[in-house]
Amino acid sequence: MMSLYAVQLECLVATWAIILLLVDAFSPMPNKRLVGYVAAGFVAVALLYSFAIQPIDNPFFHGMFRLDPFALYFKRLFLLALAVVLLMAAEFSPRIESGVVEFYALLMLCAVGMLVIASVNDFILLFVSLELVTITLYVLASYLRRQLPSLEAGTKYLILGALASGFTVYGIAYIFGTTGTTNFDRLADLLHSQTGAPSSAFVFGMLLVLTGLGFKIASVPFQVWAPDVYQGAPTPVTAFLAVGSKAAGFALLLRVLYAGLLPVSMVWNALIAVLAGATILYGNLGAIPQHNIKRLLGYSSIGHAGYMLMGVAAVNALGAGAVLFYLGQYAFTNLCAFLAIIAVTAATRSDEIPSFSGLGKRSPILGLALFLSMMSLAGVPPLSGFFGKFQLFAAVIQRAQVDSSYYVLAAIGAVAVVISLYFYLGVGRAIYLQEAEDASPINVSTPMRIGLIVCMVAMIGIGIFQRPLLQASISAAKVFSLK
Amino acid sequence: MDTLLTIAVLLPLVAAFVLFLFPANNPRAIRALALFATGVSLLITLTLFANFDRTKSGYQFVHRIPWLPSYGCSLKFGVDGISMTLLLLVGFVSFCGTMISSEIHDREKEYYILFLALTTGISGTFCTMDLFFFYFFYEMAVIPMYLLIGMWGSLPPGKHGRTKEYATMKLTLYLTAGAVLALIGLLAIYFAGGTLDIEQLQHNVVLARTTQHIAFPCLLFGFGFLASLWPFHTWSPLGYAAAPTAASMMHAGVLKKLGAYGIIRLALPLLPDGARHWANLLAILACFNILYAGWVALTQRDWKFVIGYSSVSHMGYIFLGIATLNVVGVSGAVLLMFAHGVMAALTFSLIGFFYHQTHNRFVPDLSGLARKIPFIGVCMVMAVMASSGLPGFANFASEVLVFLGSWQQGSTLFHVATICAVWGIVVTATYLLWAVRMSFFGPFDEKWSMLKDAVSFKQKFPYALLLAVLLTVGFYPRVLTDIIKQSVATSVVSRLSVSPETNTAMVDTAYRNGAKP
Repeated sequence: MMSLYAVQLECLVATWAIILLLVDAFSPMPNKRLVGYVAAGFVAVALLYSFAIQPIDNPFFHGMFRLDPFALYFKRLFLLALAVVLLMAAEFSPRIESGVVEFYALLMLCAVGMLVIASVNDFILLFVSLELVTITLYVLASYLRRQLPSLEAGTKYLILGALASGFTVYGIAYIFGTTGTTNFDRLADLLHSQTGAPSSAFVFGMLLVLTGLGFKIASVPFQVWAPDVYQGAPTPVTAFLAVGSKAAGFALLLRVLYAGLLPVSMVWNALIAVLAGATILYGNLGAIPQHNIKRLLGYSSIGHAGYMLMGVAAVNALGAGAVLFYLGQYAFTNLCAFLAIIAVTAATRSDEIPSFSGLGKRSPILGLALFLSMMSLAGVPPLSGFFGKFQLFAAVIQRAQVDSSYYVLAAIGAVAVVISLYFYLGVGRAIYLQEAEDASPINVSTPMRIGLIVCMVAMIGIGIFQRPLLQASISAAKVFSLK
Repeated sequence: MDTLLTIAVLLPLVAAFVLFLFPANNPRAIRALALFATGVSLLITLTLFANFDRTKSGYQFVHRIPWLPSYGCSLKFGVDGISMTLLLLVGFVSFCGTMISSEIHDREKEYYILFLALTTGISGTFCTMDLFFFYFFYEMAVIPMYLLIGMWGSLPPGKHGRTKEYATMKLTLYLTAGAVLALIGLLAIYFAGGTLDIEQLQHNVVLARTTQHIAFPCLLFGFGFLASLWPFHTWSPLGYAAAPTAASMMHAGVLKKLGAYGIIRLALPLLPDGARHWANLLAILACFNILYAGWVALTQRDWKFVIGYSSVSHMGYIFLGIATLNVVGVSGAVLLMFAHGVMAALTFSLIGFFYHQTHNRFVPDLSGLARKIPFIGVCMVMAVMASSGLPGFANFASEVLVFLGSWQQGSTLFHVATICAVWGIVVTATYLLWAVRMSFFGPFDEKWSMLKDAVSFKQKFPYALLLAVLLTVGFYPRVLTDIIKQSVATSVVSRLSVSPETNTAMVDTAYRNGAKP
């Protein structure tokens, strides 16, 4: 029974997805949009319910599955993302030709994979849950199957994703071969008791696993898919990639590196730091010439992966907490941006940045929401993104007190902040400084309005009153034995 | 009494949030609320100034709200002589700026929200006693400025071939670049010193030499970007030229002083070893500020560019005063920050007054304006006299202090720098007198016959208030210098003699704290 307690959220969402599918198969509902709202509302209730679940110290299912504060933090994050993405999908449903309810159900099944990822404590479960997420995303990315960009996005994601999965499973084999275990705790104990450098076969396996995870979070050098897939995929799926899939990748990365591979941190530490710097620069420089907002956010998501890698590379408690905090606030910020984009593109039918001109006058709430989310992404106070970046920089500078080469990483991050402000303000300029050709007002439905207001209040609220989310992230990061 | 300071700082921000919920179609009510917020803020500031204990050094009216215990960060406000002076400056300029904003007739709600947020960003930075909030408020002032310039600004086409969008983007990027550079230095101080509390850092912590040498240039150039230290000044005249009147007033008058304040409040007392190491370079850059920007101002034809470069040039005196590292020089710098702030705000508001009617601020196109707008003409002449450092104005007293401090410093470099700085006054007088003579005197041009002078009390009040402040401090500088000198002596200059070697025990405790902040 205790095992069932551990997976109750997963069961809840999966059951709800299957019920939706069955009901739609036997008695199709005419108002697909309403179904989406109901689904989103149900997930929102599940999110509230998740706060009643208490973390448990011992692992479940033979040490494979954990329900610790870290897992619960991510589960709540994924449920939040799913609820808002379902709301987006409902708004987006008129643009889906057929299989709208299947679209909702696939999103929910993908989220089930993410919920499992939050709890992963074993390489086997890691692979299974990762595939559950990735395979549903292949389908979702190419869901608008009569549109070439969407097909291209799905194909690209499929080919590169399959390759990355191959790497991961191959790496897991090497790790198992050299250590005889796939469990993170046992792996850490083994590595801890070993003296001297780990064998090269083990390091090879570790690098292959990191390749697979690098693909999930779109870090250099496995980042090329991100802009194309972000641009081509249906916008709710893009949002889910940016918020859910990215957070899932970081959840796994943190678990693998900090729970399993912490004793050999000297092997991967410098690598992660270099990748962080390269990813920050690639994402932020690549975003400068973009004029499609979804593509811009694709590059921006690479840049943010780089910032969060800074926190991972710092290997201290502050850094781990900072990454968790960053993911939490990043979810609200990005969801707000994508909500606004969906509402605007529903009226303008264009993702190009010039079509956002004069948005501040056409719809004050959409203009404000998009502007605030851009400024939060850029890290401007008093918005939540500011405190996220502040913490990541703090973690790196703390590390620099013992290893002064980390000042270089901080300097790269600082330069990138200025660069990013340039292109985020490019969107801001269109919204407020430029006049619209077609100045007709844009209507915003009530559920959409609620979603936007919730996200905006969260962005400003977290930015000024940082303490609740900060404490949640710190207690979640305490599961790792970091200093 | 203690919460009054917090109220004075946060009131404009609270008003901005209230305005957010206001209907946009009632500009009179919106304006009234903005005037109320800045006016009450100013009154509270004056009350605090009247109650300021002139015999005590250290922070007064301290009010602390615990904020993030895991960082040891608290929302803590308090003022000493330096920040009290600058808080007064914010109070005067933001109130006059709000009064003058009656010329704005487009999207008033957004305008006042941004203006009020900007005000809190600036006064918060001056009054906070916590490193985290210092940076928080400092950064918070940047984006409102971007929108104020971008949405309500204007940049007449000229040789520079730039648009206001270019100007505002350049300004924002420069300010952010400076901010993040300063952030690295601030975080290095935090981890080496083990606390975010500025007062504790000033009195109980001595940082190791290596930390000081890394952090000082970060702070100096980071804050230098904002205070338009040569050669990072190019954003500033362009930004002022493009900004709406009130935003130019706030920016040239107050926002720019944040940079110099950061150096005086944080870089000098916390990093004395770094300060001694970098002071000579700062003095050289200050001379470039004074002479180079003065020379560029000589070639400008647009009123706002003339004053913009003039303000860059005046920042040079402030930097020179800081570089002297002695009580007289640094006190002079602080007083000049106040005097120049009021003077720059006055000049920009006067330019705004006639530009609003002429839609032309090209000096050779204007002629004999004083005949049509005598009140504005007289104010402008007074402002120019203040700016050129004539006795009787606050600028005179402060510039003399800077020169004395710089000469007193003693080294040849500073003697040369003093001579350059005195020569800079001649340059300033040249271009300012030329601009005033060209546009306000000389033959009257008929095309300006439609100009209307400031007649009502409401119109005249902001200009009169700023002039009165300049004259009061000019005739009785001790009203400010007493409190400035005391704070500069105890919390800045006395710290400059502390060296890391003689205080090893303190360094050790600092490091132990730093390991687990």
